[in-house]
Amino acid sequence: MTIDPETLAAYADGELDPLTAKRVERAIAADPALAAEVDRHRALTAKLRGAFAGLDAQPMPAGVEALLKRDANVVPFPTRAAKPKPQRWYGALAASLVAGLLLGQLVPRSGGDLGFDGGMPVAQGQLAHALDTQLASTTDGGLVRIGITFRDRAGDLCRTFEQGTTGGIACAQGRQPWRIEQLRSGMGGNGGTAYAQAGSPMATLMADAQAMAAGEPLDAAAEQAALKGR
Amino acid sequence: MRFEDELLPHLPRLRRVAYALARNPADADDLLQAGVERALVRRDQWQPGTRIDAWAIRILRNLWIDTVRSRSRAGETFVPAEQGDAIGQHGEQEMAVEMHNIGRAMGKLPPEQREVIALVMVEGFAYKEAAEILDIPIGTLTSRLVRGRDALLGALGEAA
Repeated sequence: MTIDPETLAAYADGELDPLTAKRVERAIAADPALAAEVDRHRALTAKLRGAFAGLDAQPMPAGVEALLKRDANVVPFPTRAAKPKPQRWYGALAASLVAGLLLGQLVPRSGGDLGFDGGMPVAQGQLAHALDTQLASTTDGGLVRIGITFRDRAGDLCRTFEQGTTGGIACAQGRQPWRIEQLRSGMGGNGGTAYAQAGSPMATLMADAQAMAAGEPLDAAAEQAALKGR
Repeated sequence: MRFEDELLPHLPRLRRVAYALARNPADADDLLQAGVERALVRRDQWQPGTRIDAWAIRILRNLWIDTVRSRSRAGETFVPAEQGDAIGQHGEQEMAVEMHNIGRAMGKLPPEQREVIALVMVEGFAYKEAAEILDIPIGTLTSRLVRGRDALLGALGEAA
């Protein structure tokens, strides 16, 4: 049986349907050269990711970060690289109108919940406080709701959170800042985890949490103990 | 949450993609800046509930095709030797050397293979998601992926 290179690569990437994957596995078992090829593909992936991860350790260019900071000018300056186009103006106008509407809603509660630590997005302000102190399924009168708390495979403490229509997963190693691992919009806003429809942003978030978790979510006592360790 | 706050956590990913596309740090940082600006201007075209990172990468790539690539500035590697050495000062020298070698190997790939490698291998997008971002059929994606991988394996040697 011959396995073409595309199929073998897809196997190495976990992209095959179960039936085809089985077929490839049988071929690999019978042919050490195929097994070695899969290993080479995976080693290359790891090497590439490792190399690009080195980039993350470098600070973001100040101009880029400033664009997304809370007090940044809403209408961006024309870029050096892009040629100005007439429709840009309408876009900028629309953007400033939209931003004006959003700003009106968000200013009272927005305290800069996201920041950067060495190129890595981290929680700060109200969100960091909630992650540090708040127990699951409570809001403590604040706007952040914590969903589940779990340990990932590296042993880091992770928590799912919701704030308005945004939800995410944050993880922290020991007393380090909370790294934002996932961020999604379009949450229900009711904070409940009970009615997460399949394919909804909440269901996707929970599925991601499950995939990251080593073992079951922490129960109330374990959660409390883990937070004390922070 | 504000659009800016939605986009913020994805900056490292956008920067990695910009570096993979642009091949030299100056162009990559320009591309990242221009991409974020354009994403802000077009924020109303993003549909909440869909992946903002995929959306922003599409913007970044279109921008790169429109401007950076057309300038065809002669860039050799996405990490020149001196920059690699600077990274080595805070990290491991080994990592800097590896980044340099990989940057050089990536830089030799045709752009259409480089972008597939960046999205699938570096960023871990599923084939289907990557094909949607690049607006190409899955079959085209997989054949570019295999050609790109073979070229990288060849350039980096068996050590890869």
